[in-house]
Amino acid sequence: MHSYDDILQKITEILRPFVPQGQAIAEETDLVADLGLDSLKVMKILETVEDSFDILIPLNVLPDIRTVKDFALQIQKLDGDGQ
Amino acid sequence: MEATPAENTLPLRIADFSTLAEALDYAARGTTGFNFYTGAGKLYAALPYAQLKEKARALARRLIGLGVRRGSRVALVADTHPDFMYFFFACQYAGMVPVPLPASIYLGGREAYVTQLNRLLSICQADVAMASEDFLPFLTEAAEGLKLRFVGSPQDFYNLHQPEVELRPSQSQEIAYLQYTSGSTRFPRGVMITQKAVLSNLFAILKYGIGVKAADRAASWLPFYHDMGLVGLVLSPMAAQLSVDYLNTRDFAMRPRVWLTLMSKNRTSLSISPPFGYELCARRVRPEQAANFDLSALRLAGVGAETIRTEPLEQFADLMAPSGFDRRAFQPCYGMAECSLAVSFSPANQGVAVDVVDSNSLAEAQKALPIENIENIDPARVKPLINCGVPLPGYEVEIRDDQGQILPERHCGTLFVRGPSVMSGYFGDLKATREVLTPDGWLNTGDLAYQIADGIVITGRKKDLIIINGRNIWPQDLEHLAEQQPEIRTGDASAFSITNIQGREQAVMMIQCRESHEDKRADLRERIHTCVRMEYGIDCLIELVPRNTLPRTTSGKLSRSGARKVYLKRVAAEHSKVPNEDLYAATLRQRAV
Repeated sequence: MHSYDDILQKITEILRPFVPQGQAIAEETDLVADLGLDSLKVMKILETVEDSFDILIPLNVLPDIRTVKDFALQIQKLDGDGQ
Repeated sequence: MEATPAENTLPLRIADFSTLAEALDYAARGTTGFNFYTGAGKLYAALPYAQLKEKARALARRLIGLGVRRGSRVALVADTHPDFMYFFFACQYAGMVPVPLPASIYLGGREAYVTQLNRLLSICQADVAMASEDFLPFLTEAAEGLKLRFVGSPQDFYNLHQPEVELRPSQSQEIAYLQYTSGSTRFPRGVMITQKAVLSNLFAILKYGIGVKAADRAASWLPFYHDMGLVGLVLSPMAAQLSVDYLNTRDFAMRPRVWLTLMSKNRTSLSISPPFGYELCARRVRPEQAANFDLSALRLAGVGAETIRTEPLEQFADLMAPSGFDRRAFQPCYGMAECSLAVSFSPANQGVAVDVVDSNSLAEAQKALPIENIENIDPARVKPLINCGVPLPGYEVEIRDDQGQILPERHCGTLFVRGPSVMSGYFGDLKATREVLTPDGWLNTGDLAYQIADGIVITGRKKDLIIINGRNIWPQDLEHLAEQQPEIRTGDASAFSITNIQGREQAVMMIQCRESHEDKRADLRERIHTCVRMEYGIDCLIELVPRNTLPRTTSGKLSRSGARKVYLKRVAAEHSKVPNEDLYAATLRQRAV
């Protein structure tokens, strides 16, 4: 199981190639408003996250994920459930 | 667990049934059925038609036990799962009307999704509604304030008492299902399709469109709330007793290769997808991986649901050649929910037929003049268009000009169709029905097309419709989002699409406002941009211009095509002059000059 900080760091790495250069990615960064992710990019990111953490992200958690922090907490929960 | 076989123990009958329940009764005597796979391509449920029939009938009694009356609407959040099948066919046996609802949600999009579900539930006046545990919280919230008899998860319904009642399945003249058009989410319309209409379309599709054979096997990642997913890849294969392998749309979008893996493993012979699906595969499969797949059994790869371009199909065919994929398998087709599904199919095993015409005469005189000798003409004038084939038997087609006059071959106009599978109308919306359907049965498709001897060629689709990544987006929906902002007046936004430098469609919205402060404009643009992304998951360019600078139509509305022209002209002329200047400032500067 990964710690929250590990997850946060990993997500930041995963998001990096999808956002404009120089764009800061912090816990409170809004994935849609700040990073401008469209639905196809989101799918690619989810694929990478699922593979990296070996988890399954149910579709129904997406509507409530707004920030990088929401995303990390959700992954932590899913990661913990699998243990 | 084993998937249902392709080979059946039962003689093939091609949709010669009067109702969907009757079709399932026959299929249930064989060994074929529906199969469901996880995102990793692992089979998690095999559902032979025999079992589907029994479970659907038991559920039908429970629905009747709830007090749901005949003809009532049963709303189903249509996630790709066996539960959807039980409910859809339970409605058939109970004489109720299933209404598939979208199961598509976006990052941070809770509010938008709940609002959409609420609107869809109220328009169809649903009496009961079902969603899987995953979607139930959204559905429950959406149903608040509406008078629904029962809202629950599949299990909640299975737990209900099953009374001993005689089942009277939905009859030939009754409504088989209500299909929301993939149209506007702000102003959705529920297409009413009778048993007679859908069965006639299933017969024509199977017999003349795809030429179904015993032991054909289908695969699909299309959503069940989409006409092509539901009619094309649930009802059609069922009505011909074929086995089908399903992948959830979301899993396909994330890992398109799994679709190819499933088709390889199961020796799939039939599949249908919008061009977008083939394009996504072509983008995500590396050339050295292609030989790992086996698409040699795929005799029909249907293409429809959006304007077809040849390049992505060619890319897919070239890339997948080592898998044994034969490009002649591509079969363009044309249709819409208002016609149950299909109006025309191009001939099987002949690949994509292209009509190459002179773009100048098409644009200026609405005439599609064929180009005989490509070498002698300016390449910019060469426009390849896809022949969508001849109308299915029973269908009449007319191309009409704006005055309603019928046009001869190769003259471009609005496509009207009349045939046995046309809808009865839009549920509870006589006005919208009258706008598109004449009393003598002609349906105005809204699409622009011309006819040639051996087919219909679509040149432009429903007026103003924007299609991004295979999804239909209606400009009025984007405009509505903009108009929700306090700075924007109703009627001051105009959305349209342009083709970007990669040749893809890009949504643009031009908005008139009175905001002279540059920072405030940037903030406003950003806000609208975010709203669009949260609701529709697309990237829309937002441009603000001063009030009274966009052209209006005679009725006083902003002209979308006019706004588009202004946009293209200004982008070409103004943006190059002053870097980082927004269109608002550029317009003012231009006026000052």
